[in-house]
Amino acid sequence: MSITRRQALKSASAAALATAIAKPAIAAKDPILVGYLPAVTGPSSSTGIGITRGTELAVQEINKAGGVDGRQIELITRDTQSDPTKAVNGAAELTRAAKVSVVFGPLNSGESLAVVPLLARTKTLQIHPCWVDSLTDVKKYPLCFRNAPTNQQIGGAANRYVVEVLKKKKVAVISDTTGYGTASANAYVPMLKQMGAEVVYQGNVDAANPDLKPEILRMQSAGAEAIMPWSVNAGFLSRIINTRGQLNWDVPIVGQTTLGSGQTKALLEKPEYWGKVYPNNFRPVSYGADGKLPPRAAAFIDRLRSNKIDMSDTLLWWIGVGYDSPYMLAEAIKAVGTDTEKLAGYFNKLKDFAGVYGDISFTPEQHDGYPDKQVVMVEANSLKDGAFNLAPGYGAA
Amino acid sequence: MVESIVLSGVAIGCLYALIAIAYNVMFSASRVFSFTAGTLGMVGGVLGSIFVLRMGLPVWVGFLGALAGGALLGIVTEIVAVRPVLKSLDQHLYVLSTLALALIVQQFTAIEFGTDAQPFPRIFDIARGGFDQQYWLPMLACVVTIVGLELLYRHTLVGHAFRAIAEDNYAARALGLPERGLRLASFALAGAIGALAGFAGGQLLLAFFANAPMLTFYGFVPVALGGMGNNRGAIVAGLILGLFQQTANFLVGGIFASVAVFAAFIVVLLAFPDGLAGASAQRRV
Repeated sequence: MSITRRQALKSASAAALATAIAKPAIAAKDPILVGYLPAVTGPSSSTGIGITRGTELAVQEINKAGGVDGRQIELITRDTQSDPTKAVNGAAELTRAAKVSVVFGPLNSGESLAVVPLLARTKTLQIHPCWVDSLTDVKKYPLCFRNAPTNQQIGGAANRYVVEVLKKKKVAVISDTTGYGTASANAYVPMLKQMGAEVVYQGNVDAANPDLKPEILRMQSAGAEAIMPWSVNAGFLSRIINTRGQLNWDVPIVGQTTLGSGQTKALLEKPEYWGKVYPNNFRPVSYGADGKLPPRAAAFIDRLRSNKIDMSDTLLWWIGVGYDSPYMLAEAIKAVGTDTEKLAGYFNKLKDFAGVYGDISFTPEQHDGYPDKQVVMVEANSLKDGAFNLAPGYGAA
Repeated sequence: MVESIVLSGVAIGCLYALIAIAYNVMFSASRVFSFTAGTLGMVGGVLGSIFVLRMGLPVWVGFLGALAGGALLGIVTEIVAVRPVLKSLDQHLYVLSTLALALIVQQFTAIEFGTDAQPFPRIFDIARGGFDQQYWLPMLACVVTIVGLELLYRHTLVGHAFRAIAEDNYAARALGLPERGLRLASFALAGAIGALAGFAGGQLLLAFFANAPMLTFYGFVPVALGGMGNNRGAIVAGLILGLFQQTANFLVGGIFASVAVFAAFIVVLLAFPDGLAGASAQRRV
């Protein structure tokens, strides 16, 4: 049977029409592609491993419950290997080849510093939990949202604890010579002074310095009532704690989360030296004075246990922020779909997203979503199931 | 305060002196400044921690294992980073090759062992006190090394051979000495001395990959001040450096202590270009 030109055109038109009509039906069943950039190997992978446990659990739960309007979430993971270069390569692949709708991560600031500008150029919506202040900027990175605190909030919480809760007015601030240490001390010292505290000692010391006794003695003779170390170096922090212990000096040590890490603990000369050491943490995932977690976190722990997710070698807030992020995205996609501009518009009006890790809110002018009041200090020596006791002096939430 | 300065200063000074001796032993055998010296110290500490704390081996086995690891790294340094550039010593390519090897080892340690400082075992199960083992172990290691090297160099045939190639390797070769084998043995010896520094100072410095550049820099100062290849000068300069650094830590503190150390280093070198104990080398022609 011969086919005339008119018949061929008719068939082609019909086929084209059928394809056009069928498209939305197929798209509705397509998975939602979410790019994920954790460091699950390499030197900074402990954070990524913890967060990934929560992220994967949330995606499993969402998909098991039918997905988002019938569409499954497909997590496309690229391990950054704790390397900013590989993070950039992963981000480029996710946006150009995999064509993801949104990217969660990277999870370490060093990698995010490299990736955030790239994702801004490719106009990809990004959510990350990294603390470096410059990693959000509504003008430069209008599609980038942070569902964690900034370094300013971290330092602010420590300062508030020392000055307002412990009522200490003479403070020693010591940092290592890294960019993080120097920048933190330079940012937090003026904040302390504004709060009426007197910084009686400020030192910037090489983290490899094996003997910190001269520095601690200098703090002591200056009349310091609290020590605030800013460093992520467990060796440096443990030397401060050990020297304080050797001198039988019982001033509180208040500062960054590494003070409460297993690495720091392993370097202590005596376990009791960890007393009166208060690192940063977060109220929604901390044990209160009654020894109980807030209901949301308690229910989350039960869910983790029933899914046989290990908490002994990680921190609850890492798993929590990993768990919250896919749910936050799923809610947004359910409300406005996967269009980037619409998603950004949704997040710009997000108010009190009730996560395990915290209540997240954004505005068009503020893409740092974590509330100040939920950043708190905890007792370093109270770790249980990845969570700590609130430091003494905090009232009920 | 004085007690603290002396204890810490002498202990750290002994570690610097041991690293300086490792530099010198390698230099004497090859005329090459191998910037892996500090890395050898770091490896001694890290291997000690791995063998004793992670693997649960007895301390003496961990100690011997760390020394063997250091010696092996010394041999690898000679084969990989020194031997290929010996023919063009005047171009100073060894600076690049030894630094590159040091960086490779340092980064490998960071990736495999971790970027955090990790605990180092107590060597002797005795209570902590003022004159603790973390202070006297580096001093003991330094004394043992000095005495051991003196005995080796002055009273053994191998020691005489080492001194011969250090004095004039062309003449030594002409006399039939196995220059390559002796050089390899010197690097192994330097590796063991560097690892000894890291093991003896492990409680003070912890097992930490970033100790490598710190020891490389501070270990080089006694070499420059004491005179290149001069072990006695290195020991005296190492002790002075440790005491000066600790005094600066107490008097000015923080990063200013490091500034004070290097300012003093530059001033001394301006006044004594051949080092405090050095003299211009004279050679009969």
